[in-house]
Amino acid sequence: MGELNRRRFLERMTALTATAMAAPATLGAVSGTGSGVGVRPPGRTGAGGRSGEGGRAVAGRLGEPDLPPASRPQPADPTELTLAEAARLLRDGDLGAVELVEAYLARIGRWDPRYQAFNTVVSVSALEAARAADRTRGRAPLTGVPLAIKDNYFTAGVRTTANSFIFEDFVPDFDATSWARLHDAGAILLGKTQMGPLATTAASTPTGERTTVNAWAPHHDDVSPGGSSSGSATAVAARMAASSTGTQTGGSITNPSNAQALTGIKPTMGRVSLHGILPLTYTRDHPGPLARDAVDAALMLQIMAGPDPADPRSLGLPPVPDYLGAVRGDDAALRHPERGGAVRIGVLPGFLDEPEPPEDPGPDPDPDIDRIGSSFPRRERTQAAYRREVATVEARRRMLATLEEMGAEIVELDFPTHWETLTSFNFNNVRLPERSEIFLEHLRDDVRKFGVSLAPWINGLLLPAAEYVRGSRARLVLLREVLDDVFGRCDLVTQTAPFPFDMVGLPLIGFPIGFETGSTGYPRPIGGMFGAEPYAEHHLLAVIAAYQRATDWHLRRPADPGDLRPADGDGDGPRDGSDRRGGRTRSPGRYDLFDVMERGE
Amino acid sequence: MARRPSPPRSAASSQEVTDEQLDAYIRTRLALAGVDLSVLPDDDEDAPADQRRIMASARRFLRSTPGAIADFEFDPMGPAPAIYPAEVSAWNRG
Repeated sequence: MGELNRRRFLERMTALTATAMAAPATLGAVSGTGSGVGVRPPGRTGAGGRSGEGGRAVAGRLGEPDLPPASRPQPADPTELTLAEAARLLRDGDLGAVELVEAYLARIGRWDPRYQAFNTVVSVSALEAARAADRTRGRAPLTGVPLAIKDNYFTAGVRTTANSFIFEDFVPDFDATSWARLHDAGAILLGKTQMGPLATTAASTPTGERTTVNAWAPHHDDVSPGGSSSGSATAVAARMAASSTGTQTGGSITNPSNAQALTGIKPTMGRVSLHGILPLTYTRDHPGPLARDAVDAALMLQIMAGPDPADPRSLGLPPVPDYLGAVRGDDAALRHPERGGAVRIGVLPGFLDEPEPPEDPGPDPDPDIDRIGSSFPRRERTQAAYRREVATVEARRRMLATLEEMGAEIVELDFPTHWETLTSFNFNNVRLPERSEIFLEHLRDDVRKFGVSLAPWINGLLLPAAEYVRGSRARLVLLREVLDDVFGRCDLVTQTAPFPFDMVGLPLIGFPIGFETGSTGYPRPIGGMFGAEPYAEHHLLAVIAAYQRATDWHLRRPADPGDLRPADGDGDGPRDGSDRRGGRTRSPGRYDLFDVMERGE
Repeated sequence: MARRPSPPRSAASSQEVTDEQLDAYIRTRLALAGVDLSVLPDDDEDAPADQRRIMASARRFLRSTPGAIADFEFDPMGPAPAIYPAEVSAWNRG
């Protein structure tokens, strides 16, 4: 029955593709033809699902990208290299792909038993691809660079589970368009990353037991890695991959990027094709990169973005800008490229408000119970959360001051008229019927297949159609107010939560702005988030790249687990790095059934 | 385009709906959709999901979300529904 349902699900996706291909006629002329890479034919592409033609198209269109020059002495350890640094060294023959892949596999074998960032590691095929890259010395922009791909992206011949019971044995026969573009650009698949089940909450088993840890606190299960692209973030932060991909429906790229000192960009709806990515919703899923800095994010996005006939959401849009050009260092980075004046950064109310000191929560009523899922007693947790809020506001102040010194204009804004209502929890729930419809056959078959994340699927069945339509209309009201009241006065705007811009499909970037030493006793990243107008990802990337030229938060790396103090009873036995699904080597805590708002999806 | 949200008429009335009424609605709706919760344990905190927690979540959802959305009122000439707001902005750029 399960196999039949999977087949029906995939047949529906194929039918959607056929519908999508007919869609441009109803959308008017297609104007978005400026992808940085060639457009691959959609759908099944034959043996292995990969097209040599597509690879040539990428190499031809993007050619040898004008990567920004090295901004620091190149590290001796190849896993310390950024994506752009590795690409440059590989291109120049100063680094071998086998050397790079072997270095990453060694780290995975040594440390992933602790991190549990990967669902599957394809070491054999990765090394074969690396040897081929070294032999051919291809000129595609990512030739020989290993990437980690979130496990909801179709990867031809490699299991794609979305970390769920439903797809636990599913092996697609074609690549998701965005991964196909990266692969055609020369990237090597290192493995599939662990994620929240079906892209909800932070990574756990489908039954809710925590798996992936934050690379900055590998011995503390209660420090969230961010979700649902948890494994993608931990893989990059822990130097087990050069970059990774994620999907964001409710913060799942920007939250894990903030949690682990990465730069992640959630592009505008339609900028990156969703074809071949297991859906959570139709209207809010966004694929994008999680990277070590803005330059790497630009390089990834340049390749992933562009029209795809298999996804009508990617058609009829403005041409893809030159992201790599936007992040190249020059003195004009904080000037608006079209308007010419200083870049205006809008600050919404509350962004710099000092937190109120917490009331004493009292002692733990039952320490044994209260400590489930946490290493620390209640009083200590409360104080640690307060200190973190204080440190976050201080880091935001410092970040804005830095940008102002660099020439940006800081603009204080009011919230749009209906912001509070239309970005509330209730309006965020308008997405839920979409997931219920997508997975209706599986809900009818056996609700137990949804494990710990069942509740929102059930709730989605309960929202009447009239309220769904009204909620969809309300999103247009929100967008209109954001465009008029926010972007009428600024170019980029601060955000403290991803949901508002996820709801209306606008681009967001998450990036590191500082660190604080919390109750773990070692540094934890603090993240910032900016949003922009539709299809203005190049503005976000340009400003954050400039900010990163003036700061070093993005250059800091977490210590290896062996160099940190383990919590009592923790262990980190080695694993050989061969192909496998992540097994547990420690006693994990458990995510709550209803914590999506906090953990992302 | 949007009028001010009206007083919480729906939210207030939904508070007056009893658990029993909501349970009947939920079970009827799920039955019509062909979804069976009875395969879950009745009440088991150690299970990934159980009927008690799923039903409690559904009641909370029904008491809050549909009413809050219904309370947001539009002018007659308000926006037609379009489920990809960002794309609408691109298509309208001319």
